[in-house]
Amino acid sequence: MHKHLTKFASAIAVAASLAAGSSVHAQEEPIKIGAIYIFSGVAATYGEFAQRGADLAVEEINASGGVLGRPLEITYEDSQIKAQTAIQAMRKLVYQEEVDVLMGLDSSGVATGVVPIVPEVQTPFIITHAATPDVTGKLCNEWTYRVSVNINQNVKGAATMAAETDAQTWTTVGPDYAFGRQSWDFFQQYLGELNPDAEFSDSPSFPAFGTEDFTPFINAVIDAQPDGVFVSLWGGDLVNFIRQASDLGFFEQDFEVIMSLGAATEVLSALGDQMPEGVTVGTRYWYAGPDNPTNDAFVKAYRERHGTPPSYNAQNAYAAVYAYKNAIETAGEVDKAAIRDALSGMTFQAPIGEVTFREGDHQAVVGPAYGVTRDDPDSEIAMLEPLRLLAGEDVTPAVEDTGCNLAQ
Amino acid sequence: MESVVAALWNSLELGVLLFLIAVGLNIIFGVLNIINFAHGALYMLGAYAAFTLTGLLGLPFWIALIAGPLLVAVLAAVVERVMLHNIYDRPITDTLLLTFALLLIIDEAVKWVWGTGIHIVEPPEILAGTFSLLGTQQSVYSLFVLAVGIVVGGGLWLFFTRTLAGKVMRAAASDRKMSRLVGINVPLVFTAVFALGAGIAALGGVIAAPIRAISPGMGSNIIVESFIVVVIGGLGSFPGAFLGAIVLGAIHGFGSRFLPELNIVLPFIGMAVVLLLKPQGLMGRSAI
Amino acid sequence: MNSWKLLAGAVLAALLVALWFLPSWSPYFYIFVATEILILGLFAAGFNLVFGYTGMLSLGHAAFFGFGAYVVAMLALHLEAPLLPALAAAVIGSGLLALVIGFFCVRLTEVYFTMLTLAFGMMVFSIAQQWRSVTNGSDGITGFPVSELGLGLGLTLGNPAVFYQVTLSVVVLAAAVLYIITLSPFGLVLKAMAENPERVAFTGIPVRRYRLYSFVLSGMFCGLAGGLFAPFTRVASPEMLHWSQSAEPVLMAILGGSATFLGPFIGSAIFVLLETWITSFTERWMLFLGIVLALMVIFLRRGLFGTAVDFVLARARRRDHAA
Repeated sequence: MHKHLTKFASAIAVAASLAAGSSVHAQEEPIKIGAIYIFSGVAATYGEFAQRGADLAVEEINASGGVLGRPLEITYEDSQIKAQTAIQAMRKLVYQEEVDVLMGLDSSGVATGVVPIVPEVQTPFIITHAATPDVTGKLCNEWTYRVSVNINQNVKGAATMAAETDAQTWTTVGPDYAFGRQSWDFFQQYLGELNPDAEFSDSPSFPAFGTEDFTPFINAVIDAQPDGVFVSLWGGDLVNFIRQASDLGFFEQDFEVIMSLGAATEVLSALGDQMPEGVTVGTRYWYAGPDNPTNDAFVKAYRERHGTPPSYNAQNAYAAVYAYKNAIETAGEVDKAAIRDALSGMTFQAPIGEVTFREGDHQAVVGPAYGVTRDDPDSEIAMLEPLRLLAGEDVTPAVEDTGCNLAQ
Repeated sequence: MESVVAALWNSLELGVLLFLIAVGLNIIFGVLNIINFAHGALYMLGAYAAFTLTGLLGLPFWIALIAGPLLVAVLAAVVERVMLHNIYDRPITDTLLLTFALLLIIDEAVKWVWGTGIHIVEPPEILAGTFSLLGTQQSVYSLFVLAVGIVVGGGLWLFFTRTLAGKVMRAAASDRKMSRLVGINVPLVFTAVFALGAGIAALGGVIAAPIRAISPGMGSNIIVESFIVVVIGGLGSFPGAFLGAIVLGAIHGFGSRFLPELNIVLPFIGMAVVLLLKPQGLMGRSAI
Repeated sequence: MNSWKLLAGAVLAALLVALWFLPSWSPYFYIFVATEILILGLFAAGFNLVFGYTGMLSLGHAAFFGFGAYVVAMLALHLEAPLLPALAAAVIGSGLLALVIGFFCVRLTEVYFTMLTLAFGMMVFSIAQQWRSVTNGSDGITGFPVSELGLGLGLTLGNPAVFYQVTLSVVVLAAAVLYIITLSPFGLVLKAMAENPERVAFTGIPVRRYRLYSFVLSGMFCGLAGGLFAPFTRVASPEMLHWSQSAEPVLMAILGGSATFLGPFIGSAIFVLLETWITSFTERWMLFLGIVLALMVIFLRRGLFGTAVDFVLARARRRDHAA
């Protein structure tokens, strides 16, 4: 399927370039991108969205003449949400497919396994989804970059929103693995800084990832009657949680609810008009947010092709491909070390806005979007109103605080 | 007090749902003596059938409730004829492997047909909303789940004890050779049993659809849960599946509420304790 | 018959020589593929001591595999332990874990044994997932150094070709030990128990204790495989303890042929190569894997290698008759 897709993509590219009279020649050797995402199991939708975004960018670039006159070619591998599988996939892409650059990774657990051995395969790697602070923190290395919003940035946004409410006592419902625990730790740290009076529950709820029945956890929160609840569940778990919580009157209670990934389009489109109104929800990119021509063109092209607004994972993958294009053009060559160095400190235009990879830790300085859900009869998914786009500079921790030491 | 009531009701609802999902696994094991690894996938097919019939075709939920399980049962009958039919004389590991292959095929087919997105099914108007129960708020839908559980449990009991078809199935379960000698068409019975078990799993999927997110791979969690249910209750025992489901429902309902740190491991401890003290399960093994 | 044995031995020797020099003739990536096949083959062969030889289907052997992986990863991370002593610790540790789990499990037989091993395996998985201060929870142990072998040989294990040859040596040695075990009187008792436990019990052999021995030995070999797997993938994570990881050696043993010694290794090769090739040309790899699996189960009753051996033996027998 990958091979067929890429062939198909190149065919479109060639046809388009013929039509446009531009200069991608079929005989030019393609620049190869290797991408590792989840394509199986409950979270497969994230891989599919990323694939849509990356394919769109590759086809656009090829249609307008490629990079340095060469077309792009992208090959996908399934991580199966397992670090060991993703690592074998990375070796396969580098040594067998001989790709020039790597991108992808959805799960934080997979990323913490993969990132330490990226220097071994000597290939630049842009992470487009996994949000663990460690890969641009204590595990950072010169080959690894991240174009997407990480947990710190995501949760700093939530804490900013929380600080503007009257709520003083907070608890959480989050998935019972590193992501949920770290989200809660950062929430306490950031909200504690913004509102020193805030109090945090010592019995937070951490249902197992993939929990089917959230009722006991929902009841625990309703019993505790906090002022505010911070929810870091995502994907199918969050859909389950919201539906079961609605059934139990959770959203009619007197507390504020902030969901750090509640505005992800896969969640909103799954729920449709079952999404409760008046909940503060966040996402790592909101298609209707950024006001720039790149975003307009991206959303329009994506909608035309798939009939839905792009998810954050589609934007991230799309942005990563353009980051490579920019890096290759800056370096003037495809050499791996040259691209690695060109990415550091580089600023490029993505739908989410102007993105810079910080030299200190290779984290993109980007911010999340938060807003309050409102039913919109004209839209297939709930809209965010009012909408807040948090600036990357305001939510990204200083390099000294990330634990990353690239100078070594 | 309220929290105990809430946990109790939640345990009951979850238990009944688990019973609906797992009882088919136990019937298939009881009669065909195979561990059906694809059982969770059949449950998933039921949920996707509900999504297709109500969400995409706009039919009422009640039609999905009947049509979903029937469709999956027919599909299962075909699968049984094509894949499983000729290997019943093999060791149990061969059937295990074959149903594992079936699981892979169904999982991929679901992604192919429905895509990877997350979906929901809206419950019928009449089952939406909540009611109060001893100071707690409970969803009306949980009442419906309980009602379906009672109907299916009672119906199966009547079927196996009162009808000829049910008695024939039990006969085929306890002695294949003898059944053949007295003129029972054993291959046909096996096909029917597999279809019946699959149909009930799909019914579980339809019932779960309005309260569970539907996505590819949603059956993979449920298969281990179903194993736990049938082991606790008693492999091959039909009343055992009910008891096992209620016990597991309580482990989840109370464990998640009052011992959240041990939540993941508790079901397996329960399973191991039952196996060690009473390997045949709480109800003991009987032919269905 | 003897000439056949001679021929088989010669083929095996030639194969081993070819394997040793694999880094000099195969595409680079196949060094990784071959390493994975060897390690998972050892895992499947170790598992098969309980399954194929003793007749007990375990769905919890990932516990020993994963435990071995965690032992090596944590020793490397905290003590920078060289590989060989770390592997020894993995073998002993997994053996002890198998002793504890086996003590309970061998009391049961048939499907009850299977379900109990599943339960214990998932308990170990849950512990790795939840005991965050020690196991690092869902992230697992990553970023540990892979440097020294421990014999003063100065080998750089970070070089995949070197690691492959070390793996080949360890796996061949372990397989030889395992083979001797299966041929020993002890191994023959196991086989007899698989066929008819009652009759073995009549001869005065304590069946349950022999089952436990088999279980512990099997756990040790699986722990060794896991101990090699961690430095190979550079990670020890809870997924390695999950029941779906336990299902892999079952598939491999049956695919290759659980009644033959080399079957699990052949099964591992089939499984890994299929996955590598299928994922290259289609993202619907589960569909193809499922269909291939189903066809093999239906048509190759004794696994690929087992069926091939049957075929060769049948021909040999015919020839002996003719002569």
